[in-house]
Amino acid sequence: MNWSNIFSATLSAFFGVNAMYFALSAIGLNVQFGYAGLLNFGQAGFMACGAYAVGMTAHYYGISFWWGIPIAVVYAVIFGLIMGVPTLRLRADYLAIVTIALAECVRLIVRSVTFKKYFGGSDGINQFANSFVNRTPFNPSSKYSLYPFSDSVNAIGAVLLLVSFAVCSVLLGHMLAQKWAKEERQGFQSKWIICGVAVMVFLLVASKQTEYDGLSFKSLVVGWILAAIIAGFIYMLMRSPWGRVIKGIREDEDAVRSLGKNVYSYKLQALILGGVIATFSGIMFSVSRGSVQPDNYSRDVTFYVLTALVLGGLAKVSGSIVGPMLFWGILSFVDAFLNELTKSWGGHVDIFGIPLITESSHIGVYVQVVIGLMLVFLMVFRPQGLFGNKKEMALDGR
Amino acid sequence: MNPGDQLKKRLQHFVALLLVGLAVFGMFAEPAHADDLAVKVRVQNQVQDAGGKTKKEPVAGVKVVVADASGASVGEGVTDAKGVALITLPAKADYTVTLDESTLPDGFALQEGDAERQVQGAAFVTSTVTVNYFTGAANRATVGWWSQFAQRLADGARFGLILAMCAVGLSLIFGTTGLTNFAHGELVTFGAMIAYILNTDRAITPWLAFPVAIIAGGAFGLAQNEFIYSPLRKRKIGLVSQMVVTVGVAIVLKNVFLRILGGRTKTFAAFNNQDCKRVGPICVTPRDATTAFISLIILVCVALALQKTRLGKATRAVSDNPDLASSTGIDSQKIIRLVWILGGMLAATGGIFRGLDEGVGPFIGSDLLFLMFAGITLGGLGSAYGALVGSFVIGLFVEVSTLGIPIMPGKNWPAPLDWLHNGVPSELKNVPAYVAMIIVLLVRPQGILGRRERVG
Amino acid sequence: MAADEQTLSETARIARAALANVAPEPGVAKPDPIMTAEGVRRSFGGITAVDVERVEIQRGSITALIGPNGAGKTTFFNLMTAFDTPDTGKWWFDGKDLEGVQAHKTADMGMVRTFQLTKSLTKMSVIENMKLGATGQKGEKWWNGLLPFTWMAQEREIEARADALLARFKLDHMRNEYAGTLSGGQRKLLEMSRALMTNPKLVMLDEPMAGVNPALKQSLNQHIKGLRDEGMTVLFVEHDMDMVHDISDWVIVMAEGMIIAEGTPDQISSNPAVIDAYLGAHQGKSLLEDM
Ligand SMILES: Nc1ncnc2c1ncn2[C@@H]1O[C@H](COP(=O)(O)OP(=O)(O)OP(=O)(O)O)[C@@H](O)[C@H]1O
Ligand SMILES: [Mg+2]
Repeated sequence: MNWSNIFSATLSAFFGVNAMYFALSAIGLNVQFGYAGLLNFGQAGFMACGAYAVGMTAHYYGISFWWGIPIAVVYAVIFGLIMGVPTLRLRADYLAIVTIALAECVRLIVRSVTFKKYFGGSDGINQFANSFVNRTPFNPSSKYSLYPFSDSVNAIGAVLLLVSFAVCSVLLGHMLAQKWAKEERQGFQSKWIICGVAVMVFLLVASKQTEYDGLSFKSLVVGWILAAIIAGFIYMLMRSPWGRVIKGIREDEDAVRSLGKNVYSYKLQALILGGVIATFSGIMFSVSRGSVQPDNYSRDVTFYVLTALVLGGLAKVSGSIVGPMLFWGILSFVDAFLNELTKSWGGHVDIFGIPLITESSHIGVYVQVVIGLMLVFLMVFRPQGLFGNKKEMALDGR
Repeated sequence: MNPGDQLKKRLQHFVALLLVGLAVFGMFAEPAHADDLAVKVRVQNQVQDAGGKTKKEPVAGVKVVVADASGASVGEGVTDAKGVALITLPAKADYTVTLDESTLPDGFALQEGDAERQVQGAAFVTSTVTVNYFTGAANRATVGWWSQFAQRLADGARFGLILAMCAVGLSLIFGTTGLTNFAHGELVTFGAMIAYILNTDRAITPWLAFPVAIIAGGAFGLAQNEFIYSPLRKRKIGLVSQMVVTVGVAIVLKNVFLRILGGRTKTFAAFNNQDCKRVGPICVTPRDATTAFISLIILVCVALALQKTRLGKATRAVSDNPDLASSTGIDSQKIIRLVWILGGMLAATGGIFRGLDEGVGPFIGSDLLFLMFAGITLGGLGSAYGALVGSFVIGLFVEVSTLGIPIMPGKNWPAPLDWLHNGVPSELKNVPAYVAMIIVLLVRPQGILGRRERVG
Repeated sequence: MAADEQTLSETARIARAALANVAPEPGVAKPDPIMTAEGVRRSFGGITAVDVERVEIQRGSITALIGPNGAGKTTFFNLMTAFDTPDTGKWWFDGKDLEGVQAHKTADMGMVRTFQLTKSLTKMSVIENMKLGATGQKGEKWWNGLLPFTWMAQEREIEARADALLARFKLDHMRNEYAGTLSGGQRKLLEMSRALMTNPKLVMLDEPMAGVNPALKQSLNQHIKGLRDEGMTVLFVEHDMDMVHDISDWVIVMAEGMIIAEGTPDQISSNPAVIDAYLGAHQGKSLLEDM
């Protein structure tokens, strides 16, 4: 078995395009589900809004796809209104049902032959983002790594990477130290430093394994910066009185209503805000590939984003970034591991004579089973995510 | 043992059970042939049968060429008696499939789409990608509108009955436990899958295979309650979290089914290829008439049982007000168990009937899930009768909406308006049902037969 | 009651004096009503939960709403605060017609209610719970949320007010704990003090004493009286007749959705209709016909 292949795949996925666009989407879902308690199962629909807005702008109107970004925001707002207005006065399950049905409508319509002339049917829209793809500084045909001291990174890049690694170390180190210290403040400083250094070492070692082509790399840089900015905004917003109302609604909307807050309006705001953020996820994903395909916005995508979010922990900004990274790390690990296993077992994995894997396409099935199991077990045992807060967890049992 | 550990144990058991089940069925289902990577080209001629329904007949002897991205041919084939040509491919990549139109039988012409089709590498979810070609000219106009309408109505009623059968369990489970089960579609698929494995792979007579599958469906429902949801309720896990758990369960089951059944749609060995018999303006196969009849009987029985029997009354009491019901000495856990069994059995039956209709695939249940939701929302969440009526209406609506009302002058109207005239294209036929659901929520959120709930 | 009379505060004296000349009959008019309901009916399927011909709540008084279980008290609260809509009827608060006014607007107008089943926001700290109660916060607009300088000053003010209230209700030691860690009685207190953060004119308390220990009940009584002293009107639901007797200026009795009696605590405790209503509904019916 080729373990270095497995680790390289895992670590590349850890920071990769998939993790990046999932993170953007998860930040949005976190606003809706994590903070406001709105079970939006139509996140893929919001993502499709973004993807198709940029795709169609470039393809049909012949203007630069950059114009698609404001259009995408408008689409997302409209989509959020259609979802929210009929359902947000009702119980949570209605929202789940309607959002998932509407997202499905969007997918059916954009992939239909009937509307092929607008949305390109099941082929989608291709090669629209040339003004992004062809933009310097990264050469699409060469390979780049996130390792600050590799040849592919210049001085400015190295400094930027090191700074962001340092920030990550401080934040993640804090989180881990808290976990380690079990809410006790004694000796916290030194634990924080140890964790921070550990994270830094991990990032340096891990980034050395990563390898991306120029286009992915460019999307990664843009996408992660965007994610960091949006996460920062959400962090601030959730510490403001607005965030307080939103969190209150998650806990008990009647109580909040009795205190004079227009719960309906706040829920709508949260739904739309989360949707607009998810739109950027769709934009980044489609732009990073220069194409839009309807099947990338199926209902399963919403569920995967949800799983990634729960993995990182609900109602925490850090959770919506770390979660998708872990999610794709785990998936790629399982995928690469099973691939190598199948290869080394001669194309067949039989256990007790039961043919579990007989061809490479079966691996995807097991990867998805892992996702489903992850969602079930996390939701039951660790709804606060892998780095959950003990105190909060104790409250759930009540 | 504390409840947490117990729950963990139970879940582990369930997973173990699932894996064993997967393995066992895997042995049954997969007669050790590994599929090669292939493009499956199917050429069918569309003709209108006596009932105005389009029938598809295979076209043999048509030549197809597959080329890779550089244009170099990687394989070619000629369709067999089933109208199918299987062309093996070297790798997952983008290909172009071209049908040689000169090899089509005389008088046949390609009807929809070009002779040249693109197959993307990403499309190889399973080892085989299917490319469909249709020939012939569908001549709708030859059959009168009213007889078409009657036909759709009959088909819609049949579909509505199946849908109602699937949805009653979903609604009862919601009513008694408050849980919106996103994995209910998988109960439907489960029934169809077991029936298919027994009937087709094991060659067991349907008279034995189908009842066994239905019982297995009930057991599967019960197992889900016992191993997953009942412990969750005991642990006081919130309903929203439980709903997310059902999503996880749905993902797992769907993929297990995909692994067992493979991606392609399969047909039962029994009751296949029947010709339709003419009854008045409509044309039905004996099989369809029978399933519709049985569905109707079952639904009437369920409704009567809920109305008349002691258990049925208890079930309704628990749905109405769980607290009150348990204070009057009804064992609500027992009722919930019963509801899961009944729901599982009904869903399995619905799955088998649907499978007879459309073939068995790993997603036949999950494809129905939203329509079931639309149905029970229409009828009022939690009301069993509401689910019955609502789903029936939705099923009818979905089928009938594909037939337009030719009232508008023959101009080229923009798409949604055009649907009124020409009918909703079948690829989008679920969309109006979803829209109807949203409109119902706006106008009468509690549904047709539902009630509002209490605050404070 | 003579001892009580002497310890009465100034406002209590005023409130009782105003009500002294009001006839003790259901639906009677008060000199200065802050809330009025007329012909309010609400039925669920077969049962009529609320059927109030007319009721007025005197401004600046403490009014108790009593009645057997299922009498419709909570439903009446729901109707008044727009958490539920009546089938028919009109009701006014502070002279304003409340028909069609949304629930959150009623709170803005100065009418705040608590719930029989406490609704503490468990995964938020006690102080956050309190701060949520303040109305008119600039930072509750999302665009201001991103600009802390627009709401920081107000936030400090609110926090000070919240801390003062917490100290008053002896919750200050729990300030930074999750509300979910509070005991049942503490939650009642939290919910009440949170309601007070809205600076209400009328406080509607649904069984504020349920689950509160006797010692705390005494001080809670003092707090409720304190609200009146601060110029608020209190309407509360309570089953403990001693409590009702102790603090209320006026008592309204509901049974089977209807107001069957009104009067001062003394008048009510000697009213046979009330005793009947508590002892059994079947007797209550014949009694209503008698009246
Ligand atoms: N949403 C509802 N659906 C059906 N019935 C309801 C609903 N809300 C209240 N009721 C019924 O209305 C009646 C009055 O209920 P309510 O809660 O107002 O009583 P209450 O006076 O507050 O009783 P308690 O003292 O026990 O709190 C009861 O019979 C109750 O069952
Ligand atoms: Mg009550």
